[in-house]
Amino acid sequence: MTGNYTALIGVLITWAGIVLYLVRLDRRIGRRKDQP
Amino acid sequence: MIIIKLGAIILITVVIFAAFLMPPPLGAMAGGDASRLFYFHVPMAQVSFLSFMVAAVYAIVYLRTRRPTHDMVAAASAELGMTFSIVAMITGALWAKQAWGAYWNWDPRQLFLFALVLFYGAFFALRQATVNVDTRRRLSAVYLIFGGAISPFLFFVLPRLYRSLHEDANQVVMAAGSKPTMSAPVAVIFVTATAGFLLLYVWLLKLGVAAARIQDESSQGAGEP
Repeated sequence: MTGNYTALIGVLITWAGIVLYLVRLDRRIGRRKDQP
Repeated sequence: MIIIKLGAIILITVVIFAAFLMPPPLGAMAGGDASRLFYFHVPMAQVSFLSFMVAAVYAIVYLRTRRPTHDMVAAASAELGMTFSIVAMITGALWAKQAWGAYWNWDPRQLFLFALVLFYGAFFALRQATVNVDTRRRLSAVYLIFGGAISPFLFFVLPRLYRSLHEDANQVVMAAGSKPTMSAPVAVIFVTATAGFLLLYVWLLKLGVAAARIQDESSQGAGEP
């Protein structure tokens, strides 16, 4: 069971990184689109 | 749009927790703990197939309407299909190491998915190499329609014509007569994962199209062909 928790934390950190990257990219693209 | 983004984030987070905290969906024969990858590997393969189909449909629409947006959607969808295919191949290889003893087993499904990745890899080479915008868009559309025509065979028909290691895993999930034998919790997590990855695909597709539009506008501004 310990292994599962280690894997869970590893996958969650990776997923959090992907989400953060996507949200920042989303905002950057949104700002570029709004520019005249 | 915010519902799609939040939906993707929440559903996939729930699936990650469920996949690691619930008992593994398949027994020791199918890799034991590694079979938790079932919740990621199968939905990603399904979404990659859907991406290739969406790309083909938008390619047909582009050839009829000649609107650049349709070409952008088709190319972005093909890009995502390839990304999801590669991740499905990696998760599949990790699972295969535990269940079948090697990362690569020359299994029909592994082989045909790899063939598809090469096919779409060539698509991006073709797209990059064509300088004239109109020619690039028309060539891309024809290539993607061809891709859409062969994808169902590579995903569903050819792997069933040969003896596949996947059958052992399939037999655990699907009993004879194709009735799912998934337990209710496994089915709920699986459907949640599929929905989560589907929403993630929609989000990424919108991002891809928006980025392509910006790139298109800036290249027009720079006076490129």
